[in-house]
Amino acid sequence: MATTHEDLVLDARGLLCPMPIVKTAKAMKELEPGQVLKVMATDRGALTDVPAWAETTGNELLESHEEDGFLVFHLRKRDD
Amino acid sequence: MADQEKLVIMVTHGPEDPELATIPFVMAGAAVASDVDVVMGFQGEGCRLVQRGVAETVSAPEFAPLAGLLDSVRDLGGKLLVCSPCVKSRGIEDELVDGAEVCAAARFVAEITSATNSLVY
Repeated sequence: MATTHEDLVLDARGLLCPMPIVKTAKAMKELEPGQVLKVMATDRGALTDVPAWAETTGNELLESHEEDGFLVFHLRKRDD
Repeated sequence: MADQEKLVIMVTHGPEDPELATIPFVMAGAAVASDVDVVMGFQGEGCRLVQRGVAETVSAPEFAPLAGLLDSVRDLGGKLLVCSPCVKSRGIEDELVDGAEVCAAARFVAEITSATNSLVY
């Protein structure tokens, strides 16, 4: 599996819906346009929540995959 | 970006129904995280959820605890409007959480008619 570069990592493991995307939204504010956020989550709702959030907010979901019992998402911050 | 969207979420259940008390906060949290303006309106027993110290006591199975959801909604700019007669009848008008604003029916109507959509729980 190719690794994706990230500028910031958010560990949202153990958090329940909608907290992974609430934390994602807050973490994105720390980044500059074009930078990449890695989100780790265990809530299965994130499988649909993170893509929906990216679609709604105009941020780009670069890829997602599953690791040892948790979900990983890479999101690129949209241009202002 | 499209025009700013706004969601009004009316809350009529309180601590007596933790699940229906929590779900509107879940929706509000998802909305503020998605750059949607959120106005939460509390009526009837829903008012209890913005009485100081009550949110900390409400938690539904498989849902995030209500107090953390309330904090997140406020942190990301959600507004909390509370029905005036409802808080007076319960004697809690001086016990509301920071950020809660007491208002009457016409304000709720103005918020709802100017919103993209509204939800009632």
